[in-house]
Amino acid sequence: MTDRLPELRQALRGVLDPETGRDLIAMGMIYDLRHEAGTVHVTMTTTTRGCPLTEMLRMGVQAALLSVPGIAAVEVTLTWEPPWSPDRMEPPAP
Amino acid sequence: MPGKHLSRWTLAWFGSALLALLAACGLGLLGVAGPGAWTGGNGLALVHVFALGWLCQVMMGALVQFVPVLAARPLALPMLALPALLVSSAGTVALALGFLVLEGREALQPLFLAAPAAIGLGFAMVAAMVGATLSSRDSLRLAEVRMVLLALLALAGLWLSGAMMVLTLSGRDPAVDLSQALPLHMLLGIGGWLSLAAFGVSYKLFAMFLIAPDQGGRLRGAVFLAAALLVAVLLAAFLMVLAGRPAEGATTVALGLIPVLILLYLAEIARIWRSRRRVAPEVNMLWSRAALAFLGFAMALSVPGWLLGGPWAEAAVFAALVGWLSTLTLAQLVKIVGFLTWIQVFAPRIGRQPVPMVQKLIDAKAATLCLALWSAGTLAGCLALLAASPAGFRLAAALLSLAALGIVRELIAVRHLSHLAAEERPAPLPPLILPLLQPR
Repeated sequence: MTDRLPELRQALRGVLDPETGRDLIAMGMIYDLRHEAGTVHVTMTTTTRGCPLTEMLRMGVQAALLSVPGIAAVEVTLTWEPPWSPDRMEPPAP
Repeated sequence: MPGKHLSRWTLAWFGSALLALLAACGLGLLGVAGPGAWTGGNGLALVHVFALGWLCQVMMGALVQFVPVLAARPLALPMLALPALLVSSAGTVALALGFLVLEGREALQPLFLAAPAAIGLGFAMVAAMVGATLSSRDSLRLAEVRMVLLALLALAGLWLSGAMMVLTLSGRDPAVDLSQALPLHMLLGIGGWLSLAAFGVSYKLFAMFLIAPDQGGRLRGAVFLAAALLVAVLLAAFLMVLAGRPAEGATTVALGLIPVLILLYLAEIARIWRSRRRVAPEVNMLWSRAALAFLGFAMALSVPGWLLGGPWAEAAVFAALVGWLSTLTLAQLVKIVGFLTWIQVFAPRIGRQPVPMVQKLIDAKAATLCLALWSAGTLAGCLALLAASPAGFRLAAALLSLAALGIVRELIAVRHLSHLAAEERPAPLPPLILPLLQPR
């Protein structure tokens, strides 16, 4: 089976945090990404536990991954342990 | 459910508050009150349209929206949001008109006496929503949550002191010594309720908007302790006034605590600012610095204000209400309305279609101009009060009116997505004010 993680990560690069304009991977909000037999398992967080965008971001991640050919199901788990901090962000592109 | 952490009536609260702001600025421009003319019926009416109609309403609307973010749980008793808005708005209008009794309009006496009941009912409903949302074991560990709860305690004291003064001014019992009750009423409102609520919410908002670590820690705990002491002293002092005992000593202690509280708060905000990842802060945060400067200015003026009274006290109160609290609110309102509008229109498209960034909904240059004008008007107002110049004060009111109109215009533009290119604007547009979200 080919490693599909690069294209899955690429799909998540299209899900932007509207406040910073950076994608969720660059924001360090995707804690885990796995693929097993057509199902993608994602563990993600938000910048703060009470973020009003939490549910929309979760649904956005689900939609972006389902748009990848061959992906039949996406399971998104939200966690705030460990809590997000700006240290998780990728350095800005030069 | 999308938007489960959003209150449907937030924009209605903001709209009601902005109407009161425009009304207060207009009354100031007409010369209804001014230097040395705040304790008559007209002056008190203007002050309460501003402090209660604008600042209290906008703070209550903001709390109803943001306590779910602070506590990470949905708003409790959300069905109270609309009745609370309606009854507190009606109470504010009744109180403002009721003060005209002091100008000889005796027919307004029933309105004057009914106002505290309506306002109290509105406050109680907001306190129930906010208090029930924040009161969980996890939330209470956070100093910022406890700070907002302290603000609610001060709100109760503010209402009680205000209601007692209305009874006294109406010639009914039990009467209180107005010269002692008035400073406590103002301190409970400005230093207790409004400032502590602003402190509590600002920690989270500033960290979010600056992309800074939200660590809390000892400094925030120290701010909470100072705030708790301040509210305790203010409430004890008011109880002494109710018992007919002198409270100047306690009031002086409270005034001595305020600089400690403010300096500790500013030290933590400076830490958040220094640790930010957002290299170029947006207009809301840039102008929040002006609000923080006015907070320091009000603190500096409060010393001669207490010792000398008169113009110094008027300028200190003006710097706090118009400079610190209003500049902060207006600056953040631009961003918050942009953010709520973005959630309403674009959030369902995340991950499915391209979406604009939140800041594209806002014209930062227009907002900057309005906030600069507001700050200039505030400075002019402080100087006019210190110089006891009615003409100067009307000039300041003109600047503030222009700035307020400009901000309202910008907020309407944000709601109409006017700053986006036509192809980025979905149809139909969201309603301007009511309600924020469609029932699902």
